[in-house]
Amino acid sequence: MSEPFEPKIVAFVCTYCTYAGADLAGTSRLKYAPNVRIVRLPCTGRISPMFILKALQKGADGVLVSGCHPGDCHFTHGNYHARRRWMVFRALLDFTGISPERVIFSWISAAEGSKFADLINSVTEDIRKLGPFDQYQQLIKETESPATL
Amino acid sequence: MAKIGVFICHCGENIAAKVDCTKLAAAMGEHPGVEVSVEYKYFCSDPGQESVKKAIRENNLTGIVIAACSPRMHEATFRKACAEAGLNPYLCEIANIREQCSWVHTDGDMATAKAADIVRSMVEKVKRNNILQPIEVPVTRRALVIGGGIAGLQAALDIANAGQEVVLVEREPSLGGHMAQLSETFPTLDCSQCIMTPRMVETAQHPNIRLLTYAEIESVDGYIGNFKVRVRMKARYVDMNACTGCGDCITKCPVKKISSEFDCGLGKRTAIYTPFAQSVPNMPVIDKASCIYFKNGKCKTCQKSCELNAINFEMQDEFIDLEIGAIVVATGFQVQNTALYGEYGYGKFPDVITGLQFERLASASGPTAGRILRPSDGKEPENVVFIQCAGSRDPSKGVRYCSKICCMYTAKHAMLYAHKVHDGKTHIFYMDIRAAGKGYDEFTRRAIEEDEASYVRGRVSKLWQENGKLMVRGVDTLLGKPVTVAADMVVLATAMVPQPNAKEFAKTIGIAYDEYGFYNEAHLKLRPVESSTAGVFLAGACQSPKDIPDSVAQASATASKVLALFSKEKLEREPVIAVNNEATCAGCWGCVLACPYNAIEKKDIRDRSGKLVKQVAYVNPGLCQGCGTCVSFCRSNSLDLAGFTEKQIFAEVMGL
Amino acid sequence: MITQEKYRTTVKELLANGSIKMAIGYRPGSTSDRRRPLFIRTSEEADQLVLDSTCITNLSGYLVTEGLLSDEKRVGIFLRPEGIRSINILAAEYQLNVDQIIIFGFDFTGREVRALQGQTTGDFSALLSEIRENPPLATKEPLLERIEKMNAKERFDFWQQEFSRCIKCYACRQACPMCYCRRCIVDSNQPQWVNTSSHTLGNFEWNVVRAFHLSGRCVQCGNCDRACPVNIPLRLINQRMAKEVVDGFDHFAGLSPTQEPVLASFKKDDTETFIL
Repeated sequence: MSEPFEPKIVAFVCTYCTYAGADLAGTSRLKYAPNVRIVRLPCTGRISPMFILKALQKGADGVLVSGCHPGDCHFTHGNYHARRRWMVFRALLDFTGISPERVIFSWISAAEGSKFADLINSVTEDIRKLGPFDQYQQLIKETESPATL
Repeated sequence: MAKIGVFICHCGENIAAKVDCTKLAAAMGEHPGVEVSVEYKYFCSDPGQESVKKAIRENNLTGIVIAACSPRMHEATFRKACAEAGLNPYLCEIANIREQCSWVHTDGDMATAKAADIVRSMVEKVKRNNILQPIEVPVTRRALVIGGGIAGLQAALDIANAGQEVVLVEREPSLGGHMAQLSETFPTLDCSQCIMTPRMVETAQHPNIRLLTYAEIESVDGYIGNFKVRVRMKARYVDMNACTGCGDCITKCPVKKISSEFDCGLGKRTAIYTPFAQSVPNMPVIDKASCIYFKNGKCKTCQKSCELNAINFEMQDEFIDLEIGAIVVATGFQVQNTALYGEYGYGKFPDVITGLQFERLASASGPTAGRILRPSDGKEPENVVFIQCAGSRDPSKGVRYCSKICCMYTAKHAMLYAHKVHDGKTHIFYMDIRAAGKGYDEFTRRAIEEDEASYVRGRVSKLWQENGKLMVRGVDTLLGKPVTVAADMVVLATAMVPQPNAKEFAKTIGIAYDEYGFYNEAHLKLRPVESSTAGVFLAGACQSPKDIPDSVAQASATASKVLALFSKEKLEREPVIAVNNEATCAGCWGCVLACPYNAIEKKDIRDRSGKLVKQVAYVNPGLCQGCGTCVSFCRSNSLDLAGFTEKQIFAEVMGL
Repeated sequence: MITQEKYRTTVKELLANGSIKMAIGYRPGSTSDRRRPLFIRTSEEADQLVLDSTCITNLSGYLVTEGLLSDEKRVGIFLRPEGIRSINILAAEYQLNVDQIIIFGFDFTGREVRALQGQTTGDFSALLSEIRENPPLATKEPLLERIEKMNAKERFDFWQQEFSRCIKCYACRQACPMCYCRRCIVDSNQPQWVNTSSHTLGNFEWNVVRAFHLSGRCVQCGNCDRACPVNIPLRLINQRMAKEVVDGFDHFAGLSPTQEPVLASFKKDDTETFIL
């Protein structure tokens, strides 16, 4: 029997809320799955859809995007702008065959260390069930050989 | 060539117990571009920092990654160490392998693998870091306070007393605002005039305060530390240098029946007038709309009466341009027009009045010299009904929020009435008694227990006149019965709402407002006196309904913010700001719309002959706060965010 | 035919009295069912104008040709309703000033061409609102419905099949009136967000990014679809995204020249059911 599948998950988070929430999970010594890699941005408004595509290209089986709850944005409106983009980009990915189950969005405040830990656990389990993103990885593999017309 | 130093901290056992630091250091040493990869027990300690500095110097490192605790802990520490070692502090990145790795994972191998990913991605990021310099913005040490009510006065005096220059702009002919209209103030019942007028005089005489009354803000440009403000001085038709405030013109003015704004329509004034006897400055203005001369070119009685020749009918509005470093907005509130409650008969029955009108009746300097008399016949009312929440907390007809002050002033009104009319009866219809505050609940209890105010918990549904009485029909929800009270006077606790032009004014200064028109603070909890625009602060009821103690506290807080800003000649800011590539910018202005700080301007690009070639976005470094919302909007990828550039993030993700 | 003759006369008149410096319309192409753009500056050129049911290309993209409008003179252009919407979007994104544009509106049912009443975008606002309320039946795409019924895996396979043919010729970009950027994100190589090789991964990224950039801006004129040499049904993606912004944000692109771009604005109560 081969080793169990360990999903690779990339998280894009804002520094003021979710990153701080992740820190709180740490200082509270909450335990969660070690499958997530965090990329810190100043604000969810800075999170470009391109980041999600690049995370997938790096072999992520799932992507998590998270920031301050509406009304709590350090920059007042960054998360509202982000929310619209997410909604549109999520629909676009869905339509082109990237399941919304692989690209997850959440609001996690600086006080929600346990929400962060719980979410990482549940997302990791969900993606483990979905299995590796073979279809995408096939595309990545293809790029290693010369292009054909 | 990149020469990156990787410093892996054990944090005692905190990291080393889970992450195999030796293995990690060895692995990172193999990574392309890494010159030094070392581990140590506590890099944040003095010897730890020294070893980092030494490594930077000895290896001419081009960037460092500290793999340790969260950047929120020690980023500043290590940036400082970099600077001391001669490396630009922004060439330092922190890999968070404690809070987000060793503390949260149980499996050592997995934690080590994760730590390696984290450090590697930060190495890839730091390779693309740019040398950044803190942004220095010069600060003009002159504050503008807009509004001469209690909040504005407090802010102006605090700033001026600290030795800084203040320009105070007041729209009305006199300082004072709403507080000057009040009789006694809760919860101490001290006379409003007695505590207010000395402040007004002090402000007017303060050597550091330039007072501009009967003036309005025309435009505000610029940014924190460097605002350019244009003030319109409305024509007073009275030369303030010549006038001594003797008042002869006022006594002679033939137009005497104008309803006084200051007395809320309960008193009369002349066409040349001061709003009230204690006005500061105590110099009249001519109300152009009511003046006979301005209507038909004849009269000039006031001019003839003035021995000092101070009256000048030719006077025009003038403009004053000011250089300002910080702005305190203290524009106050207005009382909601209660005519929207047809069932209360405001405007229909003269003896249905607002709380503010009651203040004027109770004021010793008011139209009745402090006697509570009915506006209809001048008789002393024997029974007064107060209706609380006449507009507040009423989503269907009024406003959704609580106006905060009404419970207290209604209790105060009941007391004042009881003190002045000893055998008078009061009924107060209320929804809840909200008396949180120092001495507040004691105060309302006093109104009930000592001054025998009768509180009826319920709403009033109808009000009509019968046999010379105002019949107030309501419900007592505690008894579960309808009640009808025959009153001689009804006082409505009307809602506090934003000034009528609050939204347009917010646009003039470039600050945000909520659905009602109250000005938005930068953060409700942590930055309650700052607006979303750097350098613009909020004091008093323009931000939300407030009583005097809250307004004063907030005003003093704005003063401390202003003084902190003025404590240095230059303002230093983190260089995390957006920059635009003008060559590729398509000028679609989506970024202008997306920016929460109005920091993006349109910049003209001209050719050598001065002809406009195109317009591109320009990010004002004084205003940009570095959220990056514009960057991810920009379709042509022209905008970028220093410190979190597209290249850096790309490399960071690709390094995972 | 009558419409075509009427418009020829109108164009000549407007050119003669100096109301417009140029009119952009259609002329015969290489085959009987193809049309080419025609840039009319003279009365003779106006005689070449063709207006029939094969004039389907949305010409509005020619208006943002660098320098065309910088002399502030007016230009006339033949547009169908979706073209008028494009003009509104370009105006909302400050790429042109609607006062400089004289619209020769037309549309057809079957082979019947008819003129649309009006000259400036404002004249057509009632028409556009009507289209918003009652979209023409032609927008129903059986393939779109088929794709929506697929599961994620099938959809992914479907699009990879389609995108695998992409040769990154960027004809879609060239044909699209909304692709006016001076530098496209795909041409930005610091960093190289989009893989430019013709591998399917890069093709996927390119087409997804383009669709994202067109969200809330596409009017489904079909220029991209027709321009694609390998027949990728690009319009379907854009159509799906247009539906998304209408459903999600009540944003029907191109209703007016002052409409706020949907992704540069927000409402505090935007839906967020998908956010955990």
